[in-house]
Amino acid sequence: MRSNLRFTAAGLGAALALAACSTGAPSSDSSGGSSGGGNDNKNIAFVQGVAGDEFYITMQCGIEAKAKELGYTVTTQGPQKFDPTLQKPIVDSVTASKPAALLVAPTDVQAMQAPLQQAAAAGIKVVLVDTTVNDPSFAVSEISSDNVGGGKAAFDAIKQAKPSGGKVLVISTDPGVSTVDARVKGFEDAAKADSAFNYLGVQYSHNDPATAANLVSSALQKDPDIVGIFATNLFSAEGSATGVRQAGAKDLTIVGFDAGPNQIKALEDGTVQALVAQQPGTIGTDGVEQAVAALTGGSVEKKIQTGFTIITKDNLSGEGGQAAYKSTC
Amino acid sequence: MSTSTGAGTGTSTAPTASTIETTAAHGNLTDRVKAMQSVWILGVLVVIVAVFGVMSPSTFLTTGNLTNIAQNVSIWAVLAVGMTFVIITSGIDLSVGSVLVVSSVVSAKVMESMGDSGWTTALVGLALAVVVGIFWGALNGFLVARAKVPPLIVTLGTLSVALGVAQILTGGLDIRSAPQVLQDNIGYGRLAGIPAITIIALVVVVLGGIMLHRTRFGRYTYAIGSNETSARRVGINVDRKLVQIYALSGFLAGIAGILSLAQYGTTTIAGQSLTNLNVIAAVVIGGTSIFGGQGSMFGSMVGLFIPAVLQSGFVIVGVSPYWQTVAVGSILITAVYVDQHRRAAAVRGG
Repeated sequence: MRSNLRFTAAGLGAALALAACSTGAPSSDSSGGSSGGGNDNKNIAFVQGVAGDEFYITMQCGIEAKAKELGYTVTTQGPQKFDPTLQKPIVDSVTASKPAALLVAPTDVQAMQAPLQQAAAAGIKVVLVDTTVNDPSFAVSEISSDNVGGGKAAFDAIKQAKPSGGKVLVISTDPGVSTVDARVKGFEDAAKADSAFNYLGVQYSHNDPATAANLVSSALQKDPDIVGIFATNLFSAEGSATGVRQAGAKDLTIVGFDAGPNQIKALEDGTVQALVAQQPGTIGTDGVEQAVAALTGGSVEKKIQTGFTIITKDNLSGEGGQAAYKSTC
Repeated sequence: MSTSTGAGTGTSTAPTASTIETTAAHGNLTDRVKAMQSVWILGVLVVIVAVFGVMSPSTFLTTGNLTNIAQNVSIWAVLAVGMTFVIITSGIDLSVGSVLVVSSVVSAKVMESMGDSGWTTALVGLALAVVVGIFWGALNGFLVARAKVPPLIVTLGTLSVALGVAQILTGGLDIRSAPQVLQDNIGYGRLAGIPAITIIALVVVVLGGIMLHRTRFGRYTYAIGSNETSARRVGINVDRKLVQIYALSGFLAGIAGILSLAQYGTTTIAGQSLTNLNVIAAVVIGGTSIFGGQGSMFGSMVGLFIPAVLQSGFVIVGVSPYWQTVAVGSILITAVYVDQHRRAAAVRGG
């Protein structure tokens, strides 16, 4: 029994040491620079909406590149799921670790309000990236894609492929995520304004590809004549493509939002016909610029909206390919 | 010795009584060894705290951070009390996260319709959340005890059904209008520097601990988990007790629902997806046997803090998020392995 105990302790210690090495960014405990000028504190924390998503990884790449250029170090954390009950403890711990600035993608407009306000109150410069909260007045800057415009762009892509019109469906993640709601709204407004198209509404996949696949194959059972599907994010698009394949449907235009490696592959394979790519790398670099401007007393832009790139098979080798998201930096 | 192997030897409630970790009767070896499980796991927690404390003393070991950790485990702690009871009966309750959500949805909906954001509204909301929680818990208990459907299946089913009901009631849209008094006083209020939500959780835990370790209800809980047949033979109304125990878990999920509303200000319909597994892991890390008949409230609380402290420490030290889940999973398996090993040794020795 004793040897077990010792073995366990050793194993735990080894795991900790290994883990600490793997990120190579141990926090330098700058005890002084928690607030105010704090120029000696060069730590920037980035809290993702969910760990392991290429969108946030590409953003992380942008953040790390810009931070390195400006002489800051970055630590990145993210919850296992896009879930405020999992993200809040992470934000609280980041606040306790007193970075100079915090770039964060809040997972709920209400639930993350208080924890982020607390971070700002502790003297950390908070920059909201991608998503936002109900009252973002505490944040130095908000940087996101113009999501309503993105939804409209997705509709235009469907219209281009199917000029004669027909039934269109939206597969979204969860209601209450500000960016995704805006994309749906942009699409919905554009679809309803066009009498040739019949808007079937939105289904929620809870950010799970399997659920999205089920929703799409069921929707195709009910309405086999759907001409276009707008999938509002990475997992929804991956699942929608699977659902269409499962149902054996053909001649259907799927427009995805975001451009992870799998979606680029789906585009190459012809499962997805167009992708509305955001610019997460730009959001990241802008975020660092704004945070550093706030730290050094430069001028800060309260709100920045980044644009989109529409990727189709035709521009994949050029502009479209460069807009694809990365799975590693 | 008092686990499932006791079927043939089960003559009375004697083996059951010996598993209760009270101060009484720590005389024999078996009891001393069993008492050690929570001690051993507490040792692991102390080591983890010490490691992080040494690595970043100026940030990890601050009252602010430790308070945050306590605040962030509060809701799970309330759920873990019920889960400890359920697992000691050799059952499981996968539905706690969904019951939490549906309770908070019903109560938020009614509180919203009342329009007022004072204490009366909050109390009505609390009462409703608790009633909804008890309903789902009792339903679980009824299906487990009377319909004889395995608890894993029953609660897997109610996990979906309760979440579905919450989505039907709201159209999937979170309700974001929890009364301000709840958010100000309970969610983010403090008493002598301690978060109010943590104090509430502590009261629930202490009451749960007394109930488990000092009352007849608690002893019956162990008896059912040790050997259900024996428990029936000595005249315990096992079915009724099981319904009550699952209802208790639902009741606490209802309380957790209102606490969650207070803390997050929204019904987190899409959230709480891993709550059940996190709570089960904590209870099991704390030495409660998944085969029933063994466990303590104290152990569950220590088990709850290990993942929470690890996460906080890893974030502060700057370890990649993927390692956090690896570490928690490894500790879970190690804890159960050591526990089993020790029990086997105890049986051989005793």
